[in-house]
Formats: sequence, C-alpha cells, structure tokens
Amino acid sequence: MQPILTVNHLTKRFGGLVAVDDVSFDLFEGEILGLIGPNGAGKTTMVSLISGTISPSTGKVLFQGAPIAHLPAFRRSRLGIGRTFQLMKPFPGLNVLDNVAVGALFGTGGGKRHLEEAREDAAHWLGFVGLGHRERQRADELGGPDRKRLELAKALAMNPRLLLLDEVMAGLHHGEIDEVVCVIRKVQNRGITVLLIEHVMKAIQSLSDRVLVLHHGTKIAEGTADAVLSDPQVVDAYLGTRRV
Amino acid sequence: MRRVGSIVFVAVVLALLLLPWLATPALIQFGTTTLLLATLAQSWNIIGGYAGYASFGNSVFYGIGGYGTAIAMVQFGLPFGIGILLGAVLAMFFALLLGLPVLRLRGHYFAIATLALAEAMTGIVSNLDIAGRNIGLVLPLRKGDAFFYELSLGLLALATLTVFWISRSRFGFGLIAIREDEDAAGVMGVNTTLYKALAFLLAGFFSALAGGIHAYWITFIDPVSAFDITLNVMMIIMAIFGGAGTIFGPLVGAVLLSSISEVLATEITGMASLFFGLVIVVAVVFMPRGLADLLRRLPGLGWRYFRENLWLHRL
Repeated sequence: MQPILTVNHLTKRFGGLVAVDDVSFDLFEGEILGLIGPNGAGKTTMVSLISGTISPSTGKVLFQGAPIAHLPAFRRSRLGIGRTFQLMKPFPGLNVLDNVAVGALFGTGGGKRHLEEAREDAAHWLGFVGLGHRERQRADELGGPDRKRLELAKALAMNPRLLLLDEVMAGLHHGEIDEVVCVIRKVQNRGITVLLIEHVMKAIQSLSDRVLVLHHGTKIAEGTADAVLSDPQVVDAYLGTRRV
Repeated sequence: MRRVGSIVFVAVVLALLLLPWLATPALIQFGTTTLLLATLAQSWNIIGGYAGYASFGNSVFYGIGGYGTAIAMVQFGLPFGIGILLGAVLAMFFALLLGLPVLRLRGHYFAIATLALAEAMTGIVSNLDIAGRNIGLVLPLRKGDAFFYELSLGLLALATLTVFWISRSRFGFGLIAIREDEDAAGVMGVNTTLYKALAFLLAGFFSALAGGIHAYWITFIDPVSAFDITLNVMMIIMAIFGGAGTIFGPLVGAVLLSSISEVLATEITGMASLFFGLVIVVAVVFMPRGLADLLRRLPGLGWRYFRENLWLHRL
C-alpha cells in the first residue's frame, strides 16, 4: 500500500523546548491512525506541522509522495489536508451554515466557485454530523458539543483526502461520543484517511487501525491498539500503572 | 414588503440623481462632500469591515489620489480623466507595496503601522518639488458643482456595487473568514496574504478616486489637508456607526453623521463638536455594532438590546 502521508524525522523546537523530536511514521490511504499521549506530548504540534499552521525545525513531510513542509497552510488544504482545532475556531459572526460553506468554497482543489453550491454542500455536511437543525444560528451561540460537530463539518466540507482530528470528542458525554464515532466510521467509508488525536480510549480502540504514542515529543510505541495499550512503556508514561 | 423596499430604493436613487437641479448650491456642496465621505466609509468597509483590518492608512490613498490628479494636471497638463486614473493606479501601487509588509501585522499593531504611514506621507510630500512642497498645488478651475456631485454619486454607486458583489462572492467569504479567524481561514484554504492585499488594493482604489475628485473640485491640495488623519477617523466612525461589514451601513452612517454634524454646526456653532462627540459616545455605548445590527435585532429584543450592549461593555 502507498502511504498518503509520510512524516520523516520531523523535529519542532520552540526555543529550548523540543515539542516534536525526530518523529517518523507513515499513514496509509484509507486507514485511521490513532495518535495518543499525555498532555504536552506534542500531538497538537504534530497536527499543526502537517496542516501547516507552523513549520518544522528539521525533517520532512510528504503528502501523496510530494514534499509539503515548505508550503503555507492554504496550499496544503487545497491539496486535500483538512483539520479541526482542539481549541475550536468557529467564525463567530457567521451562521452555522456559512461557517461550513467557507470550507466548501475553499478546501481541496480550490473548492466551489459559487456561494449557492457551497451552501448546498454545507447543508449536506451539517446533516452528516447531526447539526442540520442549527443552520441559521450564529456559531457563537452554539454550546460545546455542537461546536465540536461544527469543527468536524467545516473540515469535511473542504472535501479532504486526509483529515486531522484534534480531540473532537473531548468534553462530550457517552452518547455523544458514540455518535461521533459513527460519523468518523462513515468518513472512513468514504475513503478519507484519518489521523485521530483522542484521549477517549474507547474511541481509539474501536476506530484505530493502528495507534502511535508520543511522549515528550518522541515516538515511544506504534502498532495495533491492543498491542500498544498493553505495552509497559505506554502504560507507564500515559495510562498509569494498574493497581491490582 | 419587498416591493415597498424596492420602490423606496428607486425613489431615493432618483432623488439623489436629480438633486443638482432641485437644490440650492449649499445643499449640492453638502451633498458632494457627503457622497465623497460615504465613498471613503465604503472603501474602508472593504478592508476594515469585511477583512477586519482597522486601517488608518486609507487617508493616505485619498491623498495620493488627490496628488496624482493634481500633479498630472498641473505639472504635465493632462486632462482630469487621465489624471485621476493615474492617481488611482499610484494609490494601488502603494497599497500593494505597503500592504504586503504591513498586512502581516494584526490588530492594534496593524492600526499603529498604518497610522505611521499617514504621518510619513505628509513628510515626504512636503519635500517633493513636483508636488509643490509644503505649499501645495493649485488645480485648474472647472465651474459647475453639478458635475462634481454626479461624479461623486457615480463613484459611490460603483463602490457600493463592488461591496454588494463582495458580500456574496467567494472572495468576500474569504475576507469574512479572515476577519473572524485568520488561522482557521488559512487552514481552510483561503490565501490570506493575497486576499488581504486585494482588499487593501480595492480600498485604495476607491479612496484615491474620491481624493482625485475632491482635489479637482476644491482646486487646491496641500500635504496637511491631503493626508489628514481626521478624515480617516471620520470614515471609520461613519462605517461603524452605520454597520461595518454590511452593504448599506457605511452609506447610512455617512449621511446621518454628516447631517447631524452640519445641523449642529449651523444651529449651535460654538458647541457643535461637543455635541457631535456626545452623539458618537452614545452610539458606541448603546449600539456598538452599528445601525444595521440595531435594525436587525431591536424588533426582537426591544430594550434588552441596549441592556445587552451595556453588559458587553461591562458598564
């Protein structure tokens, strides 16, 4: 199988802090890769390096075989990389429909040319994430869980090939988590590759084809969910020692 | 309702068109000034209202437009039409040249940097021989206020049509996305640098044309009045008073504030600016998002609307 994304010896330093330290991995077409690790492990930094909101200190990122680490964020999104933000970034003054329409107007390949088409597209994706009934509301009037859904709809409307999901389930209750898990399954069925950052282990276990663990910016484990989650190093760094 | 709206709209446009044949010279002059101010407020609306970049540099474009026209007409004997276009091209060139570095700054820093541009331009132009140094230039006289009035009306219509197009185009949605969250806009595929530069360019284009018309109308231009920062403050207040980021807000704001200011100046000459200041303060406190927002939400909210705004200010 051809990797859609290759991260090659990627390092990001913020002054003296090494947020991501010489990390390499491949992401294959159509798979869901779980990215886990304790707070401050460098997960969000990794997403930002791939999506282009920050640039790496050293190392390479290849998307569909071509190097992209030097490209600005908007070019990467046009190639087909979509992301959500852990600290959600809705367009507060726009209504929910138009928030998502921005994704459809730009996004992969430059998106739709006309507002009407983009709004139709946006309505479709709002239905897809279960937010159809909120179309006309202003984005800053939404509650936390609905904002998470909006982030997801905005990213999906960009029609991405690769979707980077940064904690889209944080703060949701059990029922809502199950809904989002369902949505991500549907996303995968459409052939979209997913990088999933999550602390909700239930979701990681049920969705991930493989799991990668970061700790202090370095990769400490990679493999199937079951193998990784029982790895003593991972248990020690992230999950905490089980008291029998 | 829609029908009534369009009848009113057509009536207003007709009245505006025919005003020079119906009104007194004083009213025509007031009309021309107001139309030019409205054009400036509308062009600020593109960069400030839609892209969310509070530019204090728009009066620079206004000044460049005026000087471009004056230099072309006085120093090279070119006709007004060519002069004003040269002024506009020059302003657009400056918008790109200055915009690309300055538009990298955000928020207050952008405002401060553009403020400095206006000061710098006064200094530069005061030392240019071709621009008549600090004395300025006297343009050829053209009689007939109606000409300048109709020209200003046409320019305002053009600027407003442009904003109308922006409000429903892909370009406009890109600008709004930049205003609402620039990082998110970039990640969603908006070429933020290009879009901001284009918005600045458009704002520069319309401001420069207004400056050119004004210089020819007044037949005189000098560095201090051409790059007057008060003018920039006026356009911002007018745009925000009416509703920044809306199509008609800046026009309504310009007309209302010009009229209030004019009435105050004739009725209570001495204290006019005090009362004008009071109007601004009350407006900012009770309707910080402008008239457009007031009209949209007052019917539903009633008095709660003002209470919410007071709460917004932590008053």
